[in-house]
Amino acid sequence: MSVLRPMDKLPDLNRATVLLVGTQDALLQKLAESMLQEQCASELRVHLANSLPLPSNVNRPRIDLIVFVINLHSQYSLRNVEECLSHVDSSFFLGKVCFLATGAGRESHCSVHQNTVIKLAHTYRSPLLFCDLEVESFRVTMAQRLVRMLQICAGHVPGISAVNLLSLLRRSDSPPSKEL
Amino acid sequence: MKKTIMDVLENQQKLDPDITGDMEVIDTEEELIKQCEEMWKDMEECQNKLSLIGTETLTNSNAQLSLLITQVKCLTAELDHWKKRTPEITPMTEDVLVTLGKEEFQQLKCNLEMVVSTIQSKNEKLKEDLEREQQWLDEQQQILESLNVLHSDLKNQVVTFSESRIFNELKAKMLSIKEFKEKLLCTLGEFLDDHFPLPDGTTKKKKKNTQESNAQLVTLNEIIEMLINRMFDVPHDPYVKISDSFWPPYIELLLRYGIALRHPEDPTRIRLEAFHQ
Repeated sequence: MSVLRPMDKLPDLNRATVLLVGTQDALLQKLAESMLQEQCASELRVHLANSLPLPSNVNRPRIDLIVFVINLHSQYSLRNVEECLSHVDSSFFLGKVCFLATGAGRESHCSVHQNTVIKLAHTYRSPLLFCDLEVESFRVTMAQRLVRMLQICAGHVPGISAVNLLSLLRRSDSPPSKEL
Repeated sequence: MKKTIMDVLENQQKLDPDITGDMEVIDTEEELIKQCEEMWKDMEECQNKLSLIGTETLTNSNAQLSLLITQVKCLTAELDHWKKRTPEITPMTEDVLVTLGKEEFQQLKCNLEMVVSTIQSKNEKLKEDLEREQQWLDEQQQILESLNVLHSDLKNQVVTFSESRIFNELKAKMLSIKEFKEKLLCTLGEFLDDHFPLPDGTTKKKKKNTQESNAQLVTLNEIIEMLINRMFDVPHDPYVKISDSFWPPYIELLLRYGIALRHPEDPTRIRLEAFHQ
């Protein structure tokens, strides 16, 4: 099946799976390691992918959260993510997708404007997180945050659902109106 | 769609407390397992229903609107669900409750122990800090005290220094110098008296009769005194006229040893050699 759907499989017991999508393998790897080092009651699974669709012949668990990692230094990474989005079922966007923009710290290297990413996240009604994944302390904090989100998305936190979290995470300010 | 999502949500939330509810007691355990299996069946049903729903992908143009609509649907569904839901508790059997309570207490105990130990260590650290600070304060106070003492001492010293002390010291010095001078004068006088007495005796009487008839002779001491006084009283003309009262051998002595000098033009006048210059 070429389109990823959130509920296409039954959940595994106490297991939460995250899919990190991005063009930079090394960064994804580091982020995944940081996430796995987090203390967490659930059993974490981290899958990495350069792009979607995922190969269909592999048996993989239900995916609870997709993190699209966009490197602001490369136009290619943005285009790749945009292409990937067409392989994601719309019900994923009910809180189980988030965008992670990295590299905003070194503005001189940026070839993708922040507003472009903000617009993208706004279009897909999904949270956008900024984090310089090259810096270890930032990466650890981000990993912690993602693990929390993942637990909620996997339904391991009683009383709060992914949609619920999404409505909490929404940016309070209205998005830049000029491009609407 | 609303219905299925609701079901799924319900199932997920039901499932949660029971995942951890691994009961020890057998009969309650069986009951729980039965419950779980029922839930699992429910979930499978929902899963089947969900898989029947077709996929829907988004494009940039339609994404916002359709997502907003589904979000509203979901949120209202969730709201309905929360409104209807009566909180379902784990079976009220004694064993379960006891076990759960035990677990809860154990957890609480662990947490509290941690709190206690951290607070104790913090207290100790604070105590140490306090001690160190106290010590520091004491030291500072000691320093302050000693400095104060030093300060007041110095103050007193300065006061006496400026007024009475210097005065007294100078006075004392002057006194001692005066004494010394007195002593010097005495010893010099004695020395002169002892070694250069006035001529009186039978041997000298013959000369006296012939040369110095009636003049009263003065001592060497007096001659020197006269010369000194003249020199200091009238520095521009320190010459003294040789009178009859000067015993000529003494004058000769003074001249010969370079103590006195004769006036270059007037041989009757002598002066003291200028030792002080």
